[in-house]
Amino acid sequence: MEFEGCSCFRQRLVLSTVSGKRVKIRNIRSKDDSPGLRDFEASFIRLLDKVTNGTRIEINQTGTMLFYQPGLLYGGSVEHECNVQRSVGYYLEALLMLAPFMKNPLRAVLKGVTNDPTDPSVDLLKVTAPPLMKRFGIDGDSLEIKVVRRGMAPDGGGEVHFSCPVRKFLKPVQLTEPGKIKRVRGTAVAVRVSPQMANRIVDSARSILNKFIPDIYIYTDHMKGVSSGKSPGFGLVLVAETVNGTFFSAEVMSTPQGQGDQILPEDLGKKCGKLLLEEIHRGGCVDSTNQSLALLYMTLGQQDVSKVLLGPLSPYTIEFLRHIRDFFQIMFKIEPQKPGDEERTGGEKVLMTCVGVGYSNISKPLK
Amino acid sequence: DDDTEEEEKAAKRGSGPDPGHCSEEDEEADSDMEDGGKTSTKHPEDEMELEEDVEMGSETAGALRWKEGLAQKATDAYLRQQRAAPNLRKLVYGTVVAEEEEDSKDEEDELGGLFKVSRPEKNKRVGADALDCSRFQPDSNHDWDQEEMLASIIDCFVTGKWEEDK
Repeated sequence: MEFEGCSCFRQRLVLSTVSGKRVKIRNIRSKDDSPGLRDFEASFIRLLDKVTNGTRIEINQTGTMLFYQPGLLYGGSVEHECNVQRSVGYYLEALLMLAPFMKNPLRAVLKGVTNDPTDPSVDLLKVTAPPLMKRFGIDGDSLEIKVVRRGMAPDGGGEVHFSCPVRKFLKPVQLTEPGKIKRVRGTAVAVRVSPQMANRIVDSARSILNKFIPDIYIYTDHMKGVSSGKSPGFGLVLVAETVNGTFFSAEVMSTPQGQGDQILPEDLGKKCGKLLLEEIHRGGCVDSTNQSLALLYMTLGQQDVSKVLLGPLSPYTIEFLRHIRDFFQIMFKIEPQKPGDEERTGGEKVLMTCVGVGYSNISKPLK
Repeated sequence: DDDTEEEEKAAKRGSGPDPGHCSEEDEEADSDMEDGGKTSTKHPEDEMELEEDVEMGSETAGALRWKEGLAQKATDAYLRQQRAAPNLRKLVYGTVVAEEEEDSKDEEDELGGLFKVSRPEKNKRVGADALDCSRFQPDSNHDWDQEEMLASIIDCFVTGKWEEDK
């Protein structure tokens, strides 16, 4: 398959790896002042190379063209120094998609930036992705994302452990009822700044959310010494949990040191609270960050009907749907669902339906 | 006076739901001084109007009263647009051809048939080298300081209203 440009870079390589189809990407930033692949993309390719066996990668001299022939998903213990231009979340999102289809259960140690303003942070993925994966039958004690050391942008120095069991098949799912929100949890992070920052964030976030629900608990996570990484920073991750086990999340991180205006902890808390309300307004059974993860698992499920109710599709998800069509020839049935006149449950939802391709993990050993 | 004429006109027709929308006959009646104001209100709603034109035909409203209840009208227009139920499947899967067509345009700028002028791409093919990030930026129209917005999600919580059967 051939593509142009470096948008949707991870989607293309991940789908190529699970489908076994080779990809060629041309004209990567060919008109940019600094053409070619960036360091974080190279780092991402190296990570894919580590979790697979027999992958062939060719890059031309200027880095504007990439040829990728996927190998077998091997898994096992992997340690990777993630480039600090993007946070570990960037790399972890792709690993979450691939991990269940490995030959050996994946145990990855990812080092780098744990929180930055661009990508979903490890803390956010930690609370939203595993519950979703459990719905598809990927469960067990070994499914875990753990922040061992924190590292803020721009210098990082954090460490994240991710382990995931392997599955031969994924279960088809019927997630159509999000349920009502019963509680809000959160983590206020502060490293290499006063611990008081975390408390200030918590108070302001509560002031937004207290109108809706009394059950709010926001942990303060202040790491010290070696576990605090190389850069100062603070931030907040909020999660709303429904009675049916849907998790909506939002996060805001402080501006990395030396990259523009700093944000006050109070403003950050308020902003994050409002973002959570926005996410609740979008609604659905999967939060906006994990839409594409859910859609991939649906595509790769057994040959049975899967249904998932989503909020409005994010631009990233729409691209992902197009790529799924290109790689697997699967097109989803997309039905808009309007909320009733009496219900005040946010915006319009979309019901996504598809029949899985019946993907089976042939490399998983039989025991 | 133009002004009074306008208002009478509007009253006769019954107040249309969207005054940013104007038909040809309305524009003729307009005096020059109003044109600036009118076009500026029209502009942001252009997209919606394309759809509405078909639905509402020549329905119009007073030119001077366009300022009244703008928020309410915007909400109405938004809801109407929502009700128009776009074919999502077509939106997601049906645009491949349109994207490819754009490519052919920027092949022309050549100096002496030898050098090609390389311009940074601004509008064309923004998508090709876009940032690869899964975060969904929030809708900027949603102001979470407004009571109406807060009220719109109140039933998402256990503290809100429950359906009959639960």
